[in-house]
Amino acid sequence: MKNNYTLKSLATLLENNKISSKELTSEYLKNIESGKELNCYNTVSKEKALIDAEKSDERRKSQNLRSKFDGIPIGIKDLFCTKGVTTTASSKILSNFVPNYESTVTQKCDDAGLISLGKLNCDEFAMGSTNKTSFFGPVNNPWKSVNSNNKLVPGGSSGGSAAAVSGDLCVASLGTDTGGSIRQPASFTGTVGLKPSYGRVSRWGIVAFASSLDQAGPITKTVEDAAIFLDIISGHDEKDSTSSVNPKENYYENLNPDIKGMKIGIPKEFRSDKLPASTQKSWDECADLLKINGAEILDISLPHTMSALPAYYIIAPAEASSNLARYDGVRYGLRVKGNDLIDMYEKTRSEGFGDEVKRRILIGTYVLSSGYYDAYYIKAQKIRSLIKSDYVEAFKKVDAILTPSTPSTAFEIANEPSDPVQNYLNDIFTVPVNLAGLPGISIPFANDENNLPIGLQLITNSFEEQKLLNVARNIEETINYSETPEKWWLK
Amino acid sequence: MEFDKKSLLKLGKLARISISEDKLNNLSKDLNSILEFVDQLKEINTDQVDPTSNSLNQALEVRDDKVDNQNSTEDVLENAPEKEMDFFVVPKVIE
Repeated sequence: MKNNYTLKSLATLLENNKISSKELTSEYLKNIESGKELNCYNTVSKEKALIDAEKSDERRKSQNLRSKFDGIPIGIKDLFCTKGVTTTASSKILSNFVPNYESTVTQKCDDAGLISLGKLNCDEFAMGSTNKTSFFGPVNNPWKSVNSNNKLVPGGSSGGSAAAVSGDLCVASLGTDTGGSIRQPASFTGTVGLKPSYGRVSRWGIVAFASSLDQAGPITKTVEDAAIFLDIISGHDEKDSTSSVNPKENYYENLNPDIKGMKIGIPKEFRSDKLPASTQKSWDECADLLKINGAEILDISLPHTMSALPAYYIIAPAEASSNLARYDGVRYGLRVKGNDLIDMYEKTRSEGFGDEVKRRILIGTYVLSSGYYDAYYIKAQKIRSLIKSDYVEAFKKVDAILTPSTPSTAFEIANEPSDPVQNYLNDIFTVPVNLAGLPGISIPFANDENNLPIGLQLITNSFEEQKLLNVARNIEETINYSETPEKWWLK
Repeated sequence: MEFDKKSLLKLGKLARISISEDKLNNLSKDLNSILEFVDQLKEINTDQVDPTSNSLNQALEVRDDKVDNQNSTEDVLENAPEKEMDFFVVPKVIE
């Protein structure tokens, strides 16, 4: 089945009674069943989804809808706490955890009448760029190279969220992005991934990784859908002290692809000989296209770009080591018996966490430990200030910044580098945006010589999501990217 | 600083993660590689720079000190691996 479903088109189909929520939900549940080989879902909430869909259909009959999008099924990254539905963060240590509360973001989805199909696979505690660190095994990218039958990574950490949208196992999904975890997998799967400004979307009830960087956002098929989804999930939340009091806008209603007179910056520090020729070509073509559509293209400099990744790999592990201290086998999650209390802690954490999570906790513990705190942690926070001021200066000159989303297209699962630092380089273009707290979006632009999607990233100033979406919509409208993967898993 | 066997075991103690003998070699290789990567920051002069801990320019809000019904004893204990009456149970701490 090739479908062109989007949040927007499904709202119209439901409104005109061309399809019911129950029929739609059943269709997606069938796709999930036949797409098991992709390993997108950790938990499928089949019965609950069908009951919720029936309730939505009743609301539609009685003209008591929660929103225009009432009855549309979505997928949720397994990092959002969902009341009564297992929430694992793709970790063994939380594999039996059933929250008795609902995250603010998923509550907002429910308030809009969206139906949850289930919980999507991701890297363990959102730490990874390939989805290979999941306790439940890797997700397979719906895309394959024309030259090989080998399976490709979907990116990460929101690998299941991106692959599910790309493979039609849901129409849109929720992800989280700490250093690129929405934008990088979106780029690898030909989908649209939006990381909002830090503070735009509530973090309450999301399993914490690095609290000063984490931000939730949507993965969708179109920029329009990203605007629709951001309308649903954004806004101030008193339960999250870092949630912004800046009023949200009506992103979808105000979507305006007119970019005449806008200034778009091309940062020279993102240029590299190592960038694949096809990615460089897409980047150049996109700049040309924006120029034709009325924008002015300016060369800009973000001098501390290359320091972002090392700073990130101090700050994120430091925050992670603090956040993950709570998994001690006492209050929830896995407990492994020990000779005494300390032995129980150590065995529980040793057996409950995977290798990448352990590496990051140990590095984080090290950079926060006595004698190294100033040399590493404070140093990295100072670098963070320099990175932030790079962007403050840049946005005095330009409205938006255009870069590639990733240094390569999707690669083979078997070819993942064994050196952790080589893996970290996947996020080289996305990490600075998190450190500076800015909104960023990855949109598919073209396919490379192997027929794999190339994503481009747009960045704007904090809380300028409207402008970000407008520029992205301009590109989307002009190029009309409509490539879809061959569904090899159905054969 | 390089991670050798002794410093790694100490770090494991601090982080409350037991590290088995057979994992020590690979782990020290990985952590040394990460440390070498982040050490490049030492070359950047930051004498005149203040640290940023959070990118949001917003003071923490003060809210009313209201009683609500969140986090009841039953809710908090619901996922406990071992509990008795209204308590979490842990291995004996005092001899």
